[in-house]
Amino acid sequence: MTDIPMRGGSAGASGDAPFDAVSTFERHRAELKASKRVWNMLTLGAFTIALGLSIWISNFYPERLAEGVPRIFEYFATILPDLQWDQLFEGRDAQGNAVPGSITFWYTDFWTYVELLLETILMAITATLLGAAVAFVLSFPAAANLAPNGWAYWFSRRFLEFCRGVPEILLALVFVFAIGIGPLAGVLAIAIHTGGALGKLFAEVNENASDRPVEGITAVGGSWTERMLYGVVPQVMPNFFSYAMLRFEINVRASSIIGFVGAGGIGAELNRVISFYSDDRVLAVLILVILMVTIIDLISEDIRHRFIGKENF
Amino acid sequence: MLKLDKLTRRFGDNLAVSDANLTIPDGQMVGIIGRSGAGKSTLLRLLNRLIDPSDGQILFGDNDIARLKGKELRAWRSDCAMIFQQFNLVGRLDVVTNVLTGRLHDMPAWRTVAQVFTPRERAFAIQALDRLGMAHTALQRAETLSGGQQQRVAIARALAQEPKILLADEPIASLDPMNAKVVMDALRDINRQDGITVICNLHTLDTARSYCDRIVGMQDGRIVFDGTPDLLTNAMAREIYGAEAEEAFNEAATSTAIPTSEPVPARVPA
Amino acid sequence: MRMASIDTVDAGQIAAVRATHPRAFRTGLDEVRKWAPWVIAIAYVIGSLIYFDVHLLFQASERALRLLRAMVVWEDMANWQYANIYKGIAQTLAMAFLGTLLGTIGSLFVGFLAAKNVMPIRIVRQMVRRFLDVLRGIDQLVWGLVFVRAVGLGPLAGVLAIFISDLGTLSKLYSEAIENIDRKQVEGVRATGAGPFAVIRYGYLPQVLPVFISQSLYFWESNTRSATILGIVGAGGIGMILIERFRAQLYDQVFFVVLNVLVLIFAIDWLSKRIRLWAIGEKSH
Repeated sequence: MTDIPMRGGSAGASGDAPFDAVSTFERHRAELKASKRVWNMLTLGAFTIALGLSIWISNFYPERLAEGVPRIFEYFATILPDLQWDQLFEGRDAQGNAVPGSITFWYTDFWTYVELLLETILMAITATLLGAAVAFVLSFPAAANLAPNGWAYWFSRRFLEFCRGVPEILLALVFVFAIGIGPLAGVLAIAIHTGGALGKLFAEVNENASDRPVEGITAVGGSWTERMLYGVVPQVMPNFFSYAMLRFEINVRASSIIGFVGAGGIGAELNRVISFYSDDRVLAVLILVILMVTIIDLISEDIRHRFIGKENF
Repeated sequence: MLKLDKLTRRFGDNLAVSDANLTIPDGQMVGIIGRSGAGKSTLLRLLNRLIDPSDGQILFGDNDIARLKGKELRAWRSDCAMIFQQFNLVGRLDVVTNVLTGRLHDMPAWRTVAQVFTPRERAFAIQALDRLGMAHTALQRAETLSGGQQQRVAIARALAQEPKILLADEPIASLDPMNAKVVMDALRDINRQDGITVICNLHTLDTARSYCDRIVGMQDGRIVFDGTPDLLTNAMAREIYGAEAEEAFNEAATSTAIPTSEPVPARVPA
Repeated sequence: MRMASIDTVDAGQIAAVRATHPRAFRTGLDEVRKWAPWVIAIAYVIGSLIYFDVHLLFQASERALRLLRAMVVWEDMANWQYANIYKGIAQTLAMAFLGTLLGTIGSLFVGFLAAKNVMPIRIVRQMVRRFLDVLRGIDQLVWGLVFVRAVGLGPLAGVLAIFISDLGTLSKLYSEAIENIDRKQVEGVRATGAGPFAVIRYGYLPQVLPVFISQSLYFWESNTRSATILGIVGAGGIGMILIERFRAQLYDQVFFVVLNVLVLIFAIDWLSKRIRLWAIGEKSH
């Protein structure tokens, strides 16, 4: 038997086997192409139907868009402040009135806003601490390798899923009804959501922890709590800390809008100025919120890097 | 006195330890030898109750250790200290806190949760470390130490438990010859000075011969030899170790290197 | 040396060990350092909760009971306008789909404008990037409120809100993906004498498309979640139904809608996981 069939005349001589292989390959290729074409057609069809239905259901018609889009630009024009160069830095006059066109006039309610921003940050800190505490406690039974029994595992998992499944603002709505308008409703709503979200992340960190130290603590006669506190916690603490800081950044954003339903913070003011006035106050509040979020992000990032730097030393 | 009666552990269809009968008087230093997978490690873990026996009894005095649960089980574990091949220290805690974890069992719950240790406990932990020559590392993180140093800290932790029995599961398999000698000397010293029973899994025959009062040979989960080192003939040892014999007889080669792959058995197991 | 029992460790021995290893014993400063963070955190939480009127929580029993009752006692279920509720859910899905689609199309253009290797003019790139920062800096819900003011109540505002916030985030992710591509393939296309659009079509797109698709799928999932609450500010979808029922104090219906929302969210999570698995699985061979 020849190892390498010669090009040309030898094709017939080497028998039917290679010929079959080529035809099989061609047939496979054709089938593959056909099935791929069917898939592409199906995907395209499903996509078109979804698009058509979506446009129909949400009334997203060109004429509505044509009507709406110019109004967007009109709206944005109305929220721009009417600043004038020559009066820009004018203070208040003897009667305590600000001059129109000055920053002082634009930010008449500046200190109200600052107070609300501070409240927003306090809400985020409290909610993050409360949520992280819940997440910490539940992350051990919710870790598959550490759960003391199947029942505790199942219960803590489902509880955490529920906590992070409900949107914060929905929870806030319920709390506002139950305990009244104010930041407490927002804190509780964000804390519950944080507990669920962090609990899942913490549990994943726990599942990746080495089991050797845990075995070591088991062997000295440690109880379940002692195994967690001495065997697992020292390993996972740096990760827990970074996750909690990242969550804090998210919570600052959340607490700045949770006031939309009356749950405290700058959100209530934001809702008020956007819903009732269309003037420069909208932009005034928005700018402050963006500034706050940016500054908090920078500070939190710095703390995280410092902490990780210290840990690595 | 520790007495194993028909102790058995199954993993699925596999008998890891089968019908083990053994009586160990207090203060003895026992070496358990056998090839990898012979059930040495399972036997030790059964004694400390890190795994539960499928059948049989473990008697210590009048207590059946195999039936203990909850608080009594933890009390037994604290009486029966364990040393691991990979040390099993808490790497991110400092050395003295690692040793202090040996005291957890005798502390009230609030102190273990708050990590509050009394000056007496701290002094005791430092004394234990000092005995192993490791007191100078007390404030370092355990993970910064070398393997041999970590194993000595692990022994100090075991001493802090004030154990009645000390189990050591391949304590020198991950160490170089010099550290291996330091660790084995420390175990023998604890056995001779304090009268603590030491039961030690060893892969290498020479170590077992030179340190132990008594050698137990295991093969396929069963105890096939039990006697003083001089009763262990070379033929017997070859029988116990099978294909791993050459490796086991040459201590220098095995105590420095972690065994990698299981060699193909040269004979059909009985 | 024999190890003594811990009970025989007397004051003298403790003093001796303390003298040789002073740092193994804790000083007052050590204790302060250990406990201060806990004390501060707990004091802060308690203090802030008092500041936030935590006593309200303990006075809420009457209304909380009413809510709990509404959870189990559902009245007048025949007149609940189910068609309305499920139309709201359909609207939510439609808003998320359209918003993500528009956001993806928009980001295809803006992403290239913000990528260093495609847009060499620094000023344009920086301006585009700062613009995207602003889009991202404002929450989707705020955008929803703004668009409700601009174009009126209804799903159009919701679609626009999703579109704008996606434009901010997706463009940034897209531009990062574009900046990370293999330059050799682009040079190959450029070497054939292709114009700038042909270079993007044949040099860039084949490399970045898989990344784009997987990111857009992920956003579709998260937008479906967030579209459920956009209605709270009037931007269409199930949230609008929810807030209407809430204002009308029909709490049993509110709970019914919330249950539907939760089922929807869990279903979307599950479906999106399957789709991404399927998409990744197909890509891998």
